[in-house]
Amino acid sequence: MTATTESLLQTLAEPAPATRRMGKPDDDAPLAVRVRDLVKRYRDGTEANRGIDLDVRRGEVVSILGPNGAGKTTFLRQLTTELLPTSGTVSIFDVDAIAEPERAKRAMGITPQEAGVFERLTVREHFELFARFRNLSKREARDAAREVIAELGLVPETEKLVGALSGGQRRRILIGLALLGRPPLLVLDEPTTGLDPSSRRTVWGVIRRAVTNGATVILSTHYMEEAERLSDRIGVIAAGRLIAIGTLDELLSRLERSYRLSYRDPLGDSCVCYYSSFVEAQRQIARDRLSEYSIARASLEDVYFALTGEQFDKDETGETA
Amino acid sequence: MKRMNDIACVFRIQLAGMRREAGPFLLAALVFPSAMYLFANAVGGADVGENRIRFLAGSIIFSLSLTSISWLGYLMLENRFTGRLKLFATLPLAPSSYVFGVLVFALAQAALGTTALLLVGRALGVNVHPNFALLIVVVFLTILCLCGIGVVVAARARSFSEGSLLTDTLGAGLIFLAPVYYAPEMMPQALRVFAKLLPTAFAARAVQTTLAGGHEIGIELLALCLTAAATLALGFKLMRWRED
Repeated sequence: MTATTESLLQTLAEPAPATRRMGKPDDDAPLAVRVRDLVKRYRDGTEANRGIDLDVRRGEVVSILGPNGAGKTTFLRQLTTELLPTSGTVSIFDVDAIAEPERAKRAMGITPQEAGVFERLTVREHFELFARFRNLSKREARDAAREVIAELGLVPETEKLVGALSGGQRRRILIGLALLGRPPLLVLDEPTTGLDPSSRRTVWGVIRRAVTNGATVILSTHYMEEAERLSDRIGVIAAGRLIAIGTLDELLSRLERSYRLSYRDPLGDSCVCYYSSFVEAQRQIARDRLSEYSIARASLEDVYFALTGEQFDKDETGETA
Repeated sequence: MKRMNDIACVFRIQLAGMRREAGPFLLAALVFPSAMYLFANAVGGADVGENRIRFLAGSIIFSLSLTSISWLGYLMLENRFTGRLKLFATLPLAPSSYVFGVLVFALAQAALGTTALLLVGRALGVNVHPNFALLIVVVFLTILCLCGIGVVVAARARSFSEGSLLTDTLGAGLIFLAPVYYAPEMMPQALRVFAKLLPTAFAARAVQTTLAGGHEIGIELLALCLTAAATLALGFKLMRWRED
């Protein structure tokens, strides 16, 4: 092994410098969201959520990960009052969201996973008209619309009909609608799905600014990088249960073998093995005389794999999805 | 206050969307009923003054039916099946405010369509002496009644195609099945009682009487009130943001 390779391996072994956000909220900050024993059972007997408990403190960003069909969207839809739980309680800033959905929604900005936009309205009309539902005056609505349009990089599209926009631009409009009136809680269901990497980063910036301004954020995502970069805590839902929740470090510490060796076997197939120490991984390399390999500290992706038994695919942009 | 603001916002959103579709709107709410008026005149005989008023009243009801069941029903179906309704559902907005907003939009269209048809009638020499205050009440109740049907269909349809088929069928069917363009005596015996009970039949009789300068429409107004209350109550019950 050359010195350069050795040095590269050492670098890989270092924990990735996490692009953390504004700092973790106080542990004693009041609760923004309190969910207890949330169960959703459909008429056909399918249990989409099986007793989920979750507390989210004000100013906190919590990402929810999980395989397709694990119950993430069902959970968020119950949180946003769109879906009636079979049992359990949901409290949003101390308001019972099941009994008083409209009141609870006053505190929420919601981006559903899928929703339509009004194709015959311009971008500006969309934001100005929807801002009025947030009890903003005409002038405030105009200002809020201008601000959100600028934040989301939609200024050149301001006077365009929404029907003429691309899918990614429409997605940004849906995110922008959730931001109008600066609601204290943002619930974003896969906000950046379908966005190109540049737009994704724009949206991350918007979410960060919202948090800086005091917002609490709960989002579901299929992007590990998104969860790592934005979140104070990350939750994993599988088979309808919240099987893990914690900071990135807390989740990583759950892995007994936290060094990942990726290599190609003699047949050319990609293989991954986990070791409890860097030295142990190096021994394996020497023993098998591997020539094409890398060693890295385990990542969120590895934790996810360990918890759910599922790999994340690579999306079209080459990022982990 | 919040509710009034919400209703106004829903109305403005629908209006802003419709601005760019004025052509189809005019076709649906004005040109088609006007053409039906001319057609009925040609077939039924325009020489009798009473017939001409009946045809004009029928065309007004036809216009209201197209506006509220076909057009508005289609709009609400479109909102529901393209995910726009979900956008409203994310807001602190009561479902009833959404329905009222759409209803106000229908009333605005109805006012426009009815006024235009009255002008068309006058231009074609129909001799009417309407009590405008009473006519406004009749048109208002008719719209409430027919919109209720549109809301029920939009809320219950299992697919967009099923819903639009139903709104089209009801929008036109309630006109041609009821004695709107012709006297009830011209219908098959078996259908007469059923046809007389249709809301469009009451609405047509009320408009016809009002256009002729009469006031004796108490029963028609009561029937329209009851039907409006029933269909709207059902519509409000079915139009929910939250799924079970």
